[in-house]
Amino acid sequence: MLHKLSLRLRIFLIFAGLALGALAGLAGGLVFGYRQLGTPETLNAFVQVGMLAGLVVLGLVTWVWYLFDLNVAKPIDILSGALRARAHSDVSGEMDAALARYLGDLAPAATAAAASLSETRNALAEAVARETTRLSAEKARLEALLSDVPVGVLLCSADHQLAFYNGTAADMLGGAGAPGLDRRLFDYLHDGPLRHAHQRLQEAGDPDAASDILCTTRSGARVLAGRMRLLEAGGYVLTLRDVTADLAQLSRREALLAETFDRIRRPAANLGTLFAVLPEGEALPPQMERALRDEVERLGAAVTELTRRHDEGRAEAVPLAPIRASDLVDGIAARLEAQDLSVHVGEVAPLLLRCNGFEIVGLAGRLGAALAEARGLRAFTLALTERGADARITLGWQGEALPVGQLEHWLDQPLEDGLPDTTGRSVLAAHATEIWPEGRPGQQAVVLPLRAARRAGPRPAPVARAVVYDFDLLSKARNAAVSDTRLEDLTYVVFDTETTGLLPAQGDEIVQIAAVRIVNGKRVAAEVFDTLVNPGRPIPPASTTVHGITDAMVAGAPGIAEVARAFHAFADGAVLVAHNAPFDLEFLRRKEGVTGVRFDNPVLDTVLLSAVIFGQHEVHSLDALTHRLDITIPEEARHTAIGDTVATADAFLKLMPMLRGRGLTSFGEVVAEVRRHGRLLRDMN
Amino acid sequence: MAEGGRQHRILVVEDEDNIALALNYLMMREGYQHDRVANGAEALPRIRETHPDLVLLDVMLPEVSGYEICQSVRLDPALADVKILMMTARGSTIERQKGLALGADGFISKPFELKELRTEVRRLLTGEG
Repeated sequence: MLHKLSLRLRIFLIFAGLALGALAGLAGGLVFGYRQLGTPETLNAFVQVGMLAGLVVLGLVTWVWYLFDLNVAKPIDILSGALRARAHSDVSGEMDAALARYLGDLAPAATAAAASLSETRNALAEAVARETTRLSAEKARLEALLSDVPVGVLLCSADHQLAFYNGTAADMLGGAGAPGLDRRLFDYLHDGPLRHAHQRLQEAGDPDAASDILCTTRSGARVLAGRMRLLEAGGYVLTLRDVTADLAQLSRREALLAETFDRIRRPAANLGTLFAVLPEGEALPPQMERALRDEVERLGAAVTELTRRHDEGRAEAVPLAPIRASDLVDGIAARLEAQDLSVHVGEVAPLLLRCNGFEIVGLAGRLGAALAEARGLRAFTLALTERGADARITLGWQGEALPVGQLEHWLDQPLEDGLPDTTGRSVLAAHATEIWPEGRPGQQAVVLPLRAARRAGPRPAPVARAVVYDFDLLSKARNAAVSDTRLEDLTYVVFDTETTGLLPAQGDEIVQIAAVRIVNGKRVAAEVFDTLVNPGRPIPPASTTVHGITDAMVAGAPGIAEVARAFHAFADGAVLVAHNAPFDLEFLRRKEGVTGVRFDNPVLDTVLLSAVIFGQHEVHSLDALTHRLDITIPEEARHTAIGDTVATADAFLKLMPMLRGRGLTSFGEVVAEVRRHGRLLRDMN
Repeated sequence: MAEGGRQHRILVVEDEDNIALALNYLMMREGYQHDRVANGAEALPRIRETHPDLVLLDVMLPEVSGYEICQSVRLDPALADVKILMMTARGSTIERQKGLALGADGFISKPFELKELRTEVRRLLTGEG
């Protein structure tokens, strides 16, 4: 009972008891002395002594208590408070040792303990920060690596939903619509070979087993060679390589080869037979002679034509990625300059070349070095010109002509020490080309023709080849019914539209749609739908003032039918979320007859969710809502479809935990609660 | 045939005997004076020595390639009026370009039709090329 009271109160009570005891002893002693003496006239003296001694005792005890309280009890209280603050939170200031100078070593000891605690805590925080930085750097490196590998990499859950894809995979699967997280893999690839491989791997039970497959895309009929490997966590990795072109080329070559054999075998056999029946040394019967001439002519024509076709196909078959002519010339110039040769770069045609840049630069560098060594040349000119369908690299110099024999000799040498198999000759063969000297007296050159892929346009903007992933999808348990599904397990598409006006019934139309996807409670930054729509009518200037979209901007944009179908595919399987959803949906639903797609997705409206959380009497405009949730919309993004969409999505993500806090965890519970607020706006479900 | 009272002289540089046999037969029938060299290394001295009107020059030759011979002839101003018709069994567009760039007056791929060869030889000899 007593030790539940505070320290200072207990000490006060102890001193109070001491005072009472001393006073009681004093009074008892005086009464006893007075009785022994037995003289009544001394009573006044006894009372006076008693009063005086009592006051002195009381005063002394009070004084000692006061000192004790001030210098012991109070500092102990403060000290323990300070220690507690340090133990339970991040308070880390110095403790005031002067406070407790009468407590001996207690204060310095407590200070030391607190300091050591703070040090430990700092060291731990530093270690965590260091480790976090290292992990995120590692993650960024892996992302960069996977986004740039030339094979498509996909991770799927055991029920074939996408949990990871890189940019290459997105390119391969794209077509009807770019892939998205938590989408079914079979929306993009024909399922037969994949299901079969998956089943085979599961039955094999070998964690290291991989299965090679050939599958085709649902749109565009690309053929992909893939390899599937099961993950320990469930699900599988799929690496894909586009072999459409390879296969087509292979079949073309096979066809040419088969035709070659056929067209050569027949005249050869006929010739053999004709000659075999001829008696040796006799004159040819005229009929036989004509037959022989016919067969020879057929054979010659076949060989000529087939060689020409093979020749054409060979240049095509050079399996090389196109490089910019200017990049190639820069590379050659840099290589020559690195060999202390001066290079004057002349005309460079704006072409894309099919060549192995490394090998061509190596070949040109080797020739430059050989010329410098043999002729003492130090200055070269370099140009790349267009010539029919080809490009020609010309490495020129002032001086004597270069004999072909010497050039051919150089071509037989390895380009670099340590690479005996890569000679100038092998580089030329790989590029299906030749090289030769050319020139007039004084001005000489070697000429190297290369196949031009096409004329180069302006450099395209770099494509964001990000990897997109959410590994939690791999272990996500799925519920069939949307209404029983937990809010954070659903996939959402948050969208917004800009329109020509506010009255769809009177002919106003959509001019822009933007949407983002929320998967597993996170907005997927790389999955964005953002497009202008040609409304097929003028945009009133008043609307242009709001959203900044002019007639000129939408002139070349697709119409609502095409955009709605693409948006429908983007929103497939997701809950639609919008701020004031009935307005946006009204525009889309009025067009269902034209577009042929029905937006029957479940719908959530952030206006209503705001009403559920903040009460009906608040303002629920997007500005007010985002302000309440501490979300800033950059001024230039406000009233752009994508800016408002992102703000709505972020607001929705912040509302989700608040709904959970209200005990609304499933989609069905949220919809039921929203219905109660349906007076505010018509509920779209 | 002979023009200006003079027989055209043709040198065949070809290492394959069968083709050389056929070419010699053709040249004889066409009424040209002809000669044959089977080795690349002998070709240039023979051209200098006999100064033919036309050289039928194979690309693939032992020792010295047809391209080299062609280039050497073109680098010698004394041989400026010697016409060169190159022949190759491969004959891709790039090889044709290389041959013409090195100074050949014509380029013909094997197997060729006799008519084609005959026309080409006449074209070069009458100086229409």
